[in-house]
Amino acid sequence: MSAITVGPITSAAPASPNRERWIAAGFAAPAMLILLALFVVPLGFLLAGSVLTGGGVSLAEYAKLLGTSYYLGVIWNSLRLALLTTLIAFAIGYPAAFALARATGAVRSLLLATLFLPLAASVIVKAFAWTILLRSDGLVNTVLITLGIIREPIRMIFTETALIIGSVNIFLPFMILPIYSVVAQLDRRMTDAAATLGASPVVAFLRVTLPLTIPGIVAGVALVFSLSVSAYVVPTLLIGERYPTLASTIAKAYLLARQPAFGAAAGVVLLVIAIAVITLSTRLARFGGGR
Amino acid sequence: MSRNDSDGAASHLVVSQISKRFGTTAVLDRIDLSIGRGELVTLLGPSGCGKTTLLRIVAGLATPDGGSVAIAGRDVTRTPPHRRNVGVVFQNYALFPHLTVGGNVAFGLRVRGRPRADIAKAVQRALSLVHLDHLTERPISALSGGQQQRVALARALAVEPDVLLFDEALSALDRKLREEMQGELRRILREIGATAIFVTHDQDEALTMSDRIAVMNGGRIEHLAAPHAIYARPATLFTLGFVGLSTRIRGTVVGSDAGVVTVDTSVGRLQAMGQFVPGSAIVMAARPENLRPASDSTDGNCVSGRVRSVVFQGSRSLVEVDAGEATLLAELTGAAAMGAVPGSDIRLSWPVAETFAYPAPGPSA
Repeated sequence: MSAITVGPITSAAPASPNRERWIAAGFAAPAMLILLALFVVPLGFLLAGSVLTGGGVSLAEYAKLLGTSYYLGVIWNSLRLALLTTLIAFAIGYPAAFALARATGAVRSLLLATLFLPLAASVIVKAFAWTILLRSDGLVNTVLITLGIIREPIRMIFTETALIIGSVNIFLPFMILPIYSVVAQLDRRMTDAAATLGASPVVAFLRVTLPLTIPGIVAGVALVFSLSVSAYVVPTLLIGERYPTLASTIAKAYLLARQPAFGAAAGVVLLVIAIAVITLSTRLARFGGGR
Repeated sequence: MSRNDSDGAASHLVVSQISKRFGTTAVLDRIDLSIGRGELVTLLGPSGCGKTTLLRIVAGLATPDGGSVAIAGRDVTRTPPHRRNVGVVFQNYALFPHLTVGGNVAFGLRVRGRPRADIAKAVQRALSLVHLDHLTERPISALSGGQQQRVALARALAVEPDVLLFDEALSALDRKLREEMQGELRRILREIGATAIFVTHDQDEALTMSDRIAVMNGGRIEHLAAPHAIYARPATLFTLGFVGLSTRIRGTVVGSDAGVVTVDTSVGRLQAMGQFVPGSAIVMAARPENLRPASDSTDGNCVSGRVRSVVFQGSRSLVEVDAGEATLLAELTGAAAMGAVPGSDIRLSWPVAETFAYPAPGPSA
């Protein structure tokens, strides 16, 4: 009675695994082909373009990118934008996801709509909207002056603050939605169980709720970070030349300076950063959520 | 059970005048319940009777609108759950999926800040009590339902709670495993002398496990007594119908003498235990095992009818007999069971002492 052993669950029919694998491959094939043609092959070209210059293989473009203080500053700008955006979006989005998951009926529908509808509008539209709101004769300044809080319009547009505000606003749904989907599935009795075992609400949150929502956090962080580290429209419209990013550098290299090899190298660096952050956050999550 | 229950001084858990409303419906209506130290009381009732809400109020997971809860002489009505020292085993166990078996059992001790060595010892002790000490490092997802049930129990036991609460704790298990766990749970609870409340809708579970059963209906306790008393002398018509099977015959009291009433029914004049004034509309009832094929010399209640159906159940047969407007239910064994064939005539009798009477419900019931 006490010696119940648990073995791995094995398939009952021994003949089927091979067949099933082929069927699964068949289902995956269209997606794999599209990814191969539209993603892997162009990436190969990008990688090749970044090292093939003047007939030979050279890492000169990478040396220029990683060896010049100006371009290191550009990389730092992209990282800084992504880090701040991700951090602030997490701080706002995590509690918002709980509010959303705990809301019921019409309130929930309304909250979900406010979250989804902006996704239907183009990033350019939203970024322009922010430039209108934040300029010196824009809505924000007008309201502040009318209320007598400030006398002179504050310079808001083309500052880092404007950039971060706009970026957080635009990428926030990508933080909230994955966390929300995890929170909504969270068993409420987990916190009941923690409470009856002696955990105060804070301890229950830190030891149970937070670890259980880590998959959502990782997905949200990975999404928002990779979107904001490579953002082009948002920094271009909200801060412009004063804040060059990897994305704007790539655009300039291809469109203005006619330096495709340099643009390709910058593209590869951007990709490496995004992959590194996603890998790292996944690892951290596994470590943190482990025990 | 040799325990002398409802002894006020020894009461370990006292629920008094607990009320709870959700919107306009009263879920609990001034509930009183005292449980002695080491006693296991089952809250038995259909879904929606308020049993789970009462359990949650004792645990501190729900707040009553009125009344009080005292555990070990301390009023805990306004105490949050994490300061009550109750152990709860939830319906689907609510184990923490991100922790191992050992991690789950250690949880309550860790949040109390116990020294590491003490925790390890307590976890081992709790797990060996449920025979799972060899699975300490397993993740929860690698356990069977029965094993998860044991882990949930070990987790609740590890903190040495003043009161253990079980919310439909066995209902997710299949029948065989559930019966095994019932026996084992009783052994464990005896071993540690736990005071426990067991919430279930399963009458067999309640009869097997409990020192006392509180049959609940519509937010009230209909009958609180030891299992044999609940079965043999149900206090209300609801308890009679909810626990066990019975024959029920409506009638009108025509005479009353020394605790025995004479009743006119559609199947003749019968007698039952009870105090009613003549003219009262009543329902009289008897348990199926008390009905026997009548012989000429039989006294007591006697009714003739025709066998409608026979359900063979191994050592006994459940026989349904049509007798005019009434249906009799008899549990027969041996030759008596062989003699009952659908369509055949049969005459059944049962002792007056085993016939109870209740006020008849209104025409709607």
